[in-house]
Amino acid sequence: MTVQRHVAVMACVLAATALFTAFCHDQFLLSLAFTGLIFAVLGQSWNWISGYAGQVSFGHALFFGTGAYASALFATHHGSPWLALACGAAVAVVLALLVGFPCFALRGHYFSIATIAVAAIAEIVVVNTDALGKANGFELPILPPGLASLQFAGKAPYVLVALVLFAAAQIATVALEHSRTGYYLRAIRANQEAAASVGVDARAVKVTAFAGAAAFAALAGSLYAQQTLFVDAESTLGLSVSIAIALVGVVGGIGTVWGPPLGAFVYTFLARYVAALYGGHGRGFDLLLYGALILAIVSVQPEGIAGIARRFRART
Amino acid sequence: MDVGPLPQLIVSGILTGLLFALISVGLTLIFGVMDVVNFAHGEFLMLAMYATFGLGLIGLNPILALPVVVVAMFVLGALVYRFFVKRLLAGPPEAVVFGTFGLLVFLQGAAQFFFTSDYRSVLNPPFSGTLHLGGIAIGEAQLAAGLGALVLIAAIFGFVEYTEPGRALRALSEDRVAAQLMGIDVQRMNAFAFGLGIACTGAAGALLMLTYQAYPRIGTEFALTAFVVVALGGFGSVHGVLLGALLVGLVEVLGGYYIAPALKMLPVYALYLAVVFLRPQGLLGRR
Amino acid sequence: MSDEPLLRVRGLEKRFGELRALDGFDLDVAEGRLTALIGPNGAGKTTAFACIAGAQRPSAGSVRFKGREVAGLPYHRIARLGVARTYQVVQTFDAMSVVEAVTVGALLRRPKLSEARAWADEILGFVGLHAKRTMLGRSLTIADKKRLELARALSTEPRLILLDEVMAGLTPTECADAVKLLRSILARGVTILMVEHVMEVLMPLADRVVVLAAGKPIFAGSPQAAAADPLVIEAYLGRP
Repeated sequence: MTVQRHVAVMACVLAATALFTAFCHDQFLLSLAFTGLIFAVLGQSWNWISGYAGQVSFGHALFFGTGAYASALFATHHGSPWLALACGAAVAVVLALLVGFPCFALRGHYFSIATIAVAAIAEIVVVNTDALGKANGFELPILPPGLASLQFAGKAPYVLVALVLFAAAQIATVALEHSRTGYYLRAIRANQEAAASVGVDARAVKVTAFAGAAAFAALAGSLYAQQTLFVDAESTLGLSVSIAIALVGVVGGIGTVWGPPLGAFVYTFLARYVAALYGGHGRGFDLLLYGALILAIVSVQPEGIAGIARRFRART
Repeated sequence: MDVGPLPQLIVSGILTGLLFALISVGLTLIFGVMDVVNFAHGEFLMLAMYATFGLGLIGLNPILALPVVVVAMFVLGALVYRFFVKRLLAGPPEAVVFGTFGLLVFLQGAAQFFFTSDYRSVLNPPFSGTLHLGGIAIGEAQLAAGLGALVLIAAIFGFVEYTEPGRALRALSEDRVAAQLMGIDVQRMNAFAFGLGIACTGAAGALLMLTYQAYPRIGTEFALTAFVVVALGGFGSVHGVLLGALLVGLVEVLGGYYIAPALKMLPVYALYLAVVFLRPQGLLGRR
Repeated sequence: MSDEPLLRVRGLEKRFGELRALDGFDLDVAEGRLTALIGPNGAGKTTAFACIAGAQRPSAGSVRFKGREVAGLPYHRIARLGVARTYQVVQTFDAMSVVEAVTVGALLRRPKLSEARAWADEILGFVGLHAKRTMLGRSLTIADKKRLELARALSTEPRLILLDEVMAGLTPTECADAVKLLRSILARGVTILMVEHVMEVLMPLADRVVVLAAGKPIFAGSPQAAAADPLVIEAYLGRP
């Protein structure tokens, strides 16, 4: 897609979401929209490293959790939530460099399993640390609503804040696609050895993308914590979160700008909403439905929903 | 000199490791033959545990249920290959990873939906006593599960080393193109290997029901360990699996005792990272 | 210093366990010339390329490029110094279009994407692949894949280009095109080191031929002298 077309789609999506937020009074639908946007950002940041660069990570929740815990810690110690956003992102970047540098020496499945191991270690450490609330997690204190506290009375303002982050992630992704780093990431995915033969320092490029992705995931984590006002290890660092992030990317289509948002939309609205109507959360119906959807997509169109759209466009 | 609980822990670690080995050998077989990491491996194990529980309801104890479950899981595995994995292999390389992940989500969701999240244990456990051997106390059930796993692993090793189909599997995992030229039917062998790999989870599931309870998410816990075991030993290496599984079993049991039960997986993951950072192809893997 | 050739290899060794793929390999490549590396199958030609370019780490020995020791440097660092290569078994970026793949190479010296794209287009015109610029790498014919690799290598503006059997599998017409292309690459001032089997192709092109057998150079000189050398004939045809 050309940049102009990305801008046009972006404008439509932003306008539609803003309108929806302005006129929808159903708090459940609004919270779904919030979750959808957070997952779109998470899926997109995962897409940088696992889609464009083809290094499949199953530990992306590490960075989401970093942001969530940063917000929780700042809030309980009377720090500014905006400072928490910045600190969470900074810590996530440092973590990404520390984790990425050794892990990107690994290829294929060895890398994927290393990401699981690193995230699991983080979860175990948090669950056993008193200052981080152990397995019980902790609640954020309720503050007077407003931009200063980044807490709001209804769900709608949260959706709008998440929408800003989402727009930033989309713009960053389009910029990435049209940058040297973006080309290098795709070349690495296609053939790392051949990429090195034209001067691509694969490890440095991957670590760079990883750090950027980590920052976005941490910002998403911070906003999530501000909205739920509760943080615990399993729901922010757990393997199931990492898997959900990866599947959002897969369902939508990896290595594309609009795949992860599509996947996030499907994940939240189709799987969660429909499941809530016909069975309720926790009974497994959402997983069943979502799993079936993934199976269908992967066996019919391995490039995800975005791939179906592309094929459809190519035909017309 | 008082050695404390160390011998007891080592025995327990080895018995645990043997079960890990049985689960992981299936994973490595599938990977070796068709380069597929079956991320739904744990979910097949979970199904096998439910199947064993179900057969318990009609009076078969886990040991008697084992052959039935193994055959059923073999058939299931071969069918899943034939109607699903085969299609994925024709797609882009990520399709297999994502497809088996979808299978994981689907099977887990199905189990939760149909069997609920309740814990199920067999009603008629055949072993319940404790053996005391020179100061070491071992649950009979744990011993039976570990020894059962040992016998089955030996059988699989023997099969792969000394039988005609086993040799064909090995040929495929060493050089697919050459194996094809030698007239090996790759699709049939793939289906066979997938069935065999899943049958291993069948056997392991039946043995696990001697000591564990079945619930929808149990598969993920064991599968995580199995991935670490397989990668630690080196993807595709059958001997590496045994080494990796025993190491992980020991580290987990010793770590759980000497550090803290809640931290028992910490040394396991740390061990994996330490090994692959030094040797990116795992302990016995080939580059 | 100034009389040192562009590339000087001395005593290069590469061992794979017991096997010595390279065993005391020496080579000089003069700037602006075409040097051919020939030898029977398994002589170590591709290994020599990999060790010079940095894809593999030599076990011992020296590789000096532009007067600088480069043996053991990472692959991408050597590429940045000005060594580009093609592969015996083509290694294209299958999922990228032709122009995108060449842009990846062009970005090495031109970090701005628009400039890199323009340069990639120019190189594609040079190798005669411009009409197929939007096709995916995987959908090209073998001959076009080889052109694509060549374009990708050239787009990095190398001082030295290593060509591994660029003629293999080409039809006679395609071969003639390739020879023309090689001449125009030389005319751009790029030094060429190539591995080639087809002696007839090399005879008029090469300034110098180095013959490799069992990991050692057994001859270095003009192509005509190589064709007449009894050691070379023996290495190729085996003992009578």
